[in-house]
Amino acid sequence: MGLEAPYVTGYLSEHFADAAYATLQGYQAKGGYEAAKKALKQMSPTQVVEEVKASGLQGRGGAGFPTGQKWSFMPPGNEKPKYLVCNADESEPGSFKDRILMERGPHLLLEGILIGAWATGAEKTFIYVRGEYAEPARQVQRAIDEATAKGFLGANVFGTKFRHEVVLMRGAGAYICGEETGLLESLEGKKGQPRKKPPFPAQYGAFGMPTTVNNVETFCHVPHILSRGAAWFKGIGTDKSPGNTIFGVSGHVNRPGLYELPLGTKLDALIFEHASGVPGGRKVKGVIPGGMSMPILPAGMLDVPMANEFLRERKTMLGTGGVMVMDETTCMVRVGCVISYFFRDESCGQCTQCREGTGWMNKVLNRIERGAGNPDDLDLLLDVAGKMEGATICAFSDAAAWPIQGLLRHFREDFEAHVRLGRCPFPESFAL
Amino acid sequence: MPRITIDDQSYEVADGRTILQALDDLGLLMNGVDVPHYCWHPKLSIDGSCRLCQVEIEGFPKLQIACNTPVKDGMVIRTQTDRVKTAREGVMELLLVNHPLDCPICDQAGECKLQDYAYEYGATHARTREPRRPAKKKVDLGPTIVFDQERCILCRRCVRFCREVPGTGELMVQGRGDHSVIETAPDQPLANDYSMNVADICPVGALTTKDFRFKIRVWFLEDVPGVCTGCSNGCNVHLGVANNRVYRYVPRRNDAVNETWMCDEGRLSYAAIGAADRLREPQLRGADGRLVAVAFDAALEEAAARIRRAVDASGPGVVVALASPHATNEDLFTLRRLLEALGTSSAAGVAVPNGRSDALLIKAEKAANGAGARALGFGGPGPVLDRIRGGGARVLIALGHDVLDPAHGANEELFRSLDTLILLDSHHSALERVAHVVLPARVAAEKLGTLTNHAGRVQRVEPAVEPAHLAYAEGETLLRLARALGLALFEGPWDPRAVSRAIGAAVPAFAGVHVDSVGAEGLPLRGPSA
Repeated sequence: MGLEAPYVTGYLSEHFADAAYATLQGYQAKGGYEAAKKALKQMSPTQVVEEVKASGLQGRGGAGFPTGQKWSFMPPGNEKPKYLVCNADESEPGSFKDRILMERGPHLLLEGILIGAWATGAEKTFIYVRGEYAEPARQVQRAIDEATAKGFLGANVFGTKFRHEVVLMRGAGAYICGEETGLLESLEGKKGQPRKKPPFPAQYGAFGMPTTVNNVETFCHVPHILSRGAAWFKGIGTDKSPGNTIFGVSGHVNRPGLYELPLGTKLDALIFEHASGVPGGRKVKGVIPGGMSMPILPAGMLDVPMANEFLRERKTMLGTGGVMVMDETTCMVRVGCVISYFFRDESCGQCTQCREGTGWMNKVLNRIERGAGNPDDLDLLLDVAGKMEGATICAFSDAAAWPIQGLLRHFREDFEAHVRLGRCPFPESFAL
Repeated sequence: MPRITIDDQSYEVADGRTILQALDDLGLLMNGVDVPHYCWHPKLSIDGSCRLCQVEIEGFPKLQIACNTPVKDGMVIRTQTDRVKTAREGVMELLLVNHPLDCPICDQAGECKLQDYAYEYGATHARTREPRRPAKKKVDLGPTIVFDQERCILCRRCVRFCREVPGTGELMVQGRGDHSVIETAPDQPLANDYSMNVADICPVGALTTKDFRFKIRVWFLEDVPGVCTGCSNGCNVHLGVANNRVYRYVPRRNDAVNETWMCDEGRLSYAAIGAADRLREPQLRGADGRLVAVAFDAALEEAAARIRRAVDASGPGVVVALASPHATNEDLFTLRRLLEALGTSSAAGVAVPNGRSDALLIKAEKAANGAGARALGFGGPGPVLDRIRGGGARVLIALGHDVLDPAHGANEELFRSLDTLILLDSHHSALERVAHVVLPARVAAEKLGTLTNHAGRVQRVEPAVEPAHLAYAEGETLLRLARALGLALFEGPWDPRAVSRAIGAAVPAFAGVHVDSVGAEGLPLRGPSA
């Protein structure tokens, strides 16, 4: 059934162990919806946007784009209906934070959405929930029904003239539907394939209307920012990356799970203090810091603070905060095979580089793992990955190229050993 | 109007266009400025997926795709830098990773953009050692098209075409990533009136027409510009000619007429040119009532003698004529001149066959030059038929046999009452059974001349093939007939160029609109069209 509440909680998840918090009454008992009421009754949309801008909140869906700035891209006026979309597709392997937010804090999400809707002038929000997320979808739908019955959603939100409707849609199961324009296509009932830009969603989004797409967790920070102020928020985390985030830790750790911690928390603290280290006292070999599309970090870089400004220096990114830990028994060629298989399978297939590059890399990696690699395959992989970068409709192709580049950057000796020996030197490897 | 710089040349372009569109508007795309592309097509929505058309734009750190990047005043674009070349090479290499490289046995070879661009922009050797993706050969997509999945580069032009042009949407991409394939839904074959266009726009050998595939290597074909004669739309085509035979029509771009498309029925109408039912021999009806093949001049002499006898006995008013809506303006003008010379100019009409039409290209008039006949003064066939029924007409000069169309209420029996039926026709018909003199005629693909489409656009046809038998254009036959009658219609021998100019002198709508002035894309008639 439901996911366990985070082992370490913060302002987002402090009440998640309490089942009542998922109900409207329980949520209100903890001060819920007061921030939204304040926004709608005491603040102009511009003031809300400015407050969120001042907080420095960055999107938590992977790209880390400043949320207030994104909201300000929505065209002013009421020429066309405007929409918000909540990206609850959470399909990045290694990520499971949005799931807990929807299961345990659905009203927190709705309140964040209401504030975003007020700020952007959106009359409707579509929540696009990953198809496999049955329980989160059930909880969010129940919360929508409760809030609508209470007059917190609908024609007169909190008795004001502001109108807002929230519609939940369950996805049909493709990674690419988590890309914002692929999501919009899927939302419209089409095949989930990212749209070329221009036009951008703020001009031409869901059903052709101006649209802003934000991640679940991003919305969940907003009520806290409004009730406690931008200065409070900026005081948490690092200078450039304020606030908490919910890290999902998985892989070779003793206590896999969710940890709400400030951005900038050191990766080794996350692994060894919070997640209780690696089973059997084995050594860490590499860590993917932010979901599978982010390049791996080697054991020597575990002292990195988990915030983009530090991770970028090490040629990786925070992504969705899904931390995957791999110990010394791990074959990094195998890891490459698994990652490249995933991206080969999930590429939407529109752009040449992505469609052909993901398949090619996967075939070469499988061949190396089988022991049929050639010395020039390593540079070939890097060359193909280079061709896939920055040249396609969406960032999927980059996301498929980066992890392979990361593996070759830090674990080239694993690849060379396969080629040299003509077999995989890791006997414990799982079957592909 | 924004001014942009492409490869150090400055151009003024229309607002709101993308770089590729602007290049296409200027007529420079792959014709002065090489920006290779697969998914982009001037008449389809922008896809932006093949990524081959990347160019360097000042102020953009990354290369941008020319198909989807809007032009801006002052934009500086470079299409031939090392970065651009490297990017193109990269895309070409990736496109070939799963391609079978089977040009020697592929019917597209010679007109394949994958082949062309691989030579032009690709690397010289393959680096991939991996097996190709498993794919199907010879997939039957419907009545007209065969699909080879191995060769497909997933540009999706065909998918967009079916959605956007006929609006039937039979094709889709099934699956994702490198396991994507073009597919139809079960029991929903690719079957629309325009289906064969997908073979034209397929840049590779994936989609081929059942009609043309493996008939001939395309490099043996000469592309002769012409006009489809299947209906009054007059879609511009290239006739693919070799060995004095037309192997196919493919649409020729004319944004004022057919953009880049044509219907399947029109496309397949080329078969009538070399058809077995072509009328090949001049014939005379003998005393026993049977048609006998004779020399052309003998048939012509007999026709002249019969006309002369009738006119001498009863005056020129007994001679009537039916024009052909398939003949050129020049042929029809010559008929008009002949009738004027005989003194019976009002006794003529034209029967135009009718059929199905749609909102796209297919017009109800199933002939290429009904509008031209009307512009040249030929009304409906009713008055001529009435005079035959009333016995006032004794001689009929018939161009073609469209009068037998049931819509006109006449079958061949009506014409038995005539003393003389002189038939000039390209194909056999029931009208021959009651004709006294039969003279083979050429079809448009065998003539120089002009045709006037439904909208009054005058378009040029030129000889792509010679008939396999002795046959003249109707105009030339009529000119010879006039000579045999001692009538002078024009100076000298048959010269369709001179006749074409003469039309303009006599019919104001044609002033300045003739075979040498209309160019490759035609010219509209002057004033209100026919």
